[in-house]
Amino acid sequence: MIRRTLAVVFVILMTIGMGLFPVSAEEYEDSDTIILRIANCEEYIDEGHWGEDEVIDLESGDVFGNNPMIEDFENWYLKTYGKKVKIEYSTYGTNEDLYNQMTLGDTFDIVCPSDYMCLKMMDEDMLLPLSDEFFDKSNKNNFYVNGLSPYIKNLMETTTINNRKWSDYSAGYMWGTMGFVYNPKKISREEASTWKLFENSKYARQITIKDSVRDTYFGVLGLLYSDKLTSPEFKNSKDYNKKITELMNDVSPETIDKAEKKLQEIRDYTYCFETDSGKSDMVAGKTVASFQWSGDGVYTLDQADEDNFYLEFAVPKECSNIWCDAWVMLKDGIQNDKEKQDAAEAFINYISRPDNVIRNMYYIGYTSCISGGNDDRIFEYADWCYGAEDEDNTVDYPLGFFFTGDESDKNYIIKTTKDQTKRQLFSQYPTSDVLDRCAVMMFFDDEENARMNQMWINVRCFNLSSVPLFDWLIALGIIVFIAVLVTVIVFRNKIFRRKRLKGFKRIS
Amino acid sequence: MFKFSRKQLCIPYAVFLLFFVIAPLVVIIYYAFTNGKGEFTFNNFTNFFTDSNTIGTLIYSMFISLVTTLVCLVIAYPVAYILANSKLKRKSVILMIFIMPMWINFTLRITAVKEILTAIEGNLAYYPFLNTIIGMTYDFFPFMILPLYNALEKIDRRLIEASHDLGADGVTTFIKVTFPLSMPGVISGITMVFLPVMTNYVVLDMLYNSTYIMGSLIGSYFNAYDWNNGSMISIVLLAIILVVTLFTNKLGNITGENRGATL
Repeated sequence: MIRRTLAVVFVILMTIGMGLFPVSAEEYEDSDTIILRIANCEEYIDEGHWGEDEVIDLESGDVFGNNPMIEDFENWYLKTYGKKVKIEYSTYGTNEDLYNQMTLGDTFDIVCPSDYMCLKMMDEDMLLPLSDEFFDKSNKNNFYVNGLSPYIKNLMETTTINNRKWSDYSAGYMWGTMGFVYNPKKISREEASTWKLFENSKYARQITIKDSVRDTYFGVLGLLYSDKLTSPEFKNSKDYNKKITELMNDVSPETIDKAEKKLQEIRDYTYCFETDSGKSDMVAGKTVASFQWSGDGVYTLDQADEDNFYLEFAVPKECSNIWCDAWVMLKDGIQNDKEKQDAAEAFINYISRPDNVIRNMYYIGYTSCISGGNDDRIFEYADWCYGAEDEDNTVDYPLGFFFTGDESDKNYIIKTTKDQTKRQLFSQYPTSDVLDRCAVMMFFDDEENARMNQMWINVRCFNLSSVPLFDWLIALGIIVFIAVLVTVIVFRNKIFRRKRLKGFKRIS
Repeated sequence: MFKFSRKQLCIPYAVFLLFFVIAPLVVIIYYAFTNGKGEFTFNNFTNFFTDSNTIGTLIYSMFISLVTTLVCLVIAYPVAYILANSKLKRKSVILMIFIMPMWINFTLRITAVKEILTAIEGNLAYYPFLNTIIGMTYDFFPFMILPLYNALEKIDRRLIEASHDLGADGVTTFIKVTFPLSMPGVISGITMVFLPVMTNYVVLDMLYNSTYIMGSLIGSYFNAYDWNNGSMISIVLLAIILVVTLFTNKLGNITGENRGATL
């Protein structure tokens, strides 16, 4: 009887458990709620719940992250457009993870991959172009088009694939460069401002490198072409930036072979290839320099500041990579649902609203692509972060190139300390001479990618030919010894069998 | 009417097995023997044995496994032996001290080891191989000592007394009686250390050994969208594990019955 009762209870519980999912799905279908599936990098949007002392008190008003931005958007959309929207938010680790997930059958409506992945998706015709209404400047709710930095706008418009502009399909989110976080007490700024740092024997095993094929390949090319890139002829040549972009996107087999050889050498000079530990090791003082993206650089510097540990950021003098993560809408997810597309574009506009931009920048530490247009709050925020009052020790740091496209614009100059021109401010808003030598890294086709990945595997795997003969002999000796030992144990009864005594029978 | 029998209690496990062991295995086998376009091929298999990277990685992983296993064995055996023969009343408490680290997640423990090693060595990057062995040994030590202790504890004291009565001295008794009788423990200890170490790439990652072992190599193939070659490496690794297990089982059968020394 007890058994039967138990069984019945089991069955009931299971039915309830299975029933839960369809019930919740039906709930959506019944109402007019628009469901928006968003995938974003981990920790890449303000999740709210700030501490009370974290209020950003700008002159034009306080900015504070109370609720997660996703929730704020849902409420804002209902209030502004009178429609209910429900966001299904998920995160991924890398661009490749996202792409893998989508090929495995996950569908999203709007995602935020890096530049090269946007271009790859464009090439594979996965993306829906942004609508004309989205670019309508007269609509005051179109925060994106009204606030996009002229510098980023130009960058996205001049980057094309198959004669289609990147800017028609993507809305920029965060951008930055690559460089080295370094400890100025141990290493000079000059030494840290070159890709040659990778093979500087003075700092052998004290520099971390990213465990990422694309970024490290870029750095190694910078090292290989260092002399060429810094020569005056090259620097003064016409189409200087175009030439850098060409050079740094060279993935021909010969160049990859050269890079592989170089990487084999560099491998023995690094502290490690890291995915995340480089930042904390830098703050802990275990390394003297660390190859980082600018946003992570800001984060590292901030962390070090909390421990009163002074670090700086440098961008290699040869060239650097300019990267930009951008929101794109997927054909597969949105299909022809106009309501959904409107909601997706409204989402981009909402997170491009200056106060939300500030919230995200504060939370993530990266630099937004939005400069605010007529709204000066974003510049005010930069000034709030890095401005200094003291007249004697301050320097002028122009930000005009980013905010208006005019480097000499007097309204966009921050008075800041000398240190800041080598620190957070410099990594968040690099100077225009840095940007002149920054190149976008394009996407590579399957064959080129396979070649690069193979190169990385070759570099990381144990190289048999590097083992000296003597070591082989020792290894062989050990193996033979173990083999003999095992054989002796297994067959010891046969080997050590005693002579049978006459008159006795063997009992087995 | 639904009739309940005890057998049905196995259903949850059977379902689990189906979804998380058998189904993935089928998928791996499918990918291992097809190319990117889904056509049947043996290329992945030949790739494995002609590519110097995979062979090099296999050798490197096995070497790490071998050294770790030996170090574990050499450290654990005397401890287990002394513990098993001691007249202490609370042996289990002492044993627990050795096993206690297993209660804490191993990545946390390795993080701690990393800090200690940094304090001792100054710069971790100079001794990647040594660090790897230390980390692995620390990680897998409990898996070696437990079966050894179990096997040694269960040895019938009377056999050792008999050996002494027959005139054997301590060393002879150990070689002729104690050690052979503890073989099941030794073998299960070796199995439980040698095989997992080959793929435990997290320890290498965390202790900054930038050379790939089998685990990281498989991961790198999957990250590079090359599921076919990645699956093939997994299959070969599975085959190696199978062979080693069969071999050690046979060894266990020859050296004596298995006295519940496996964990």
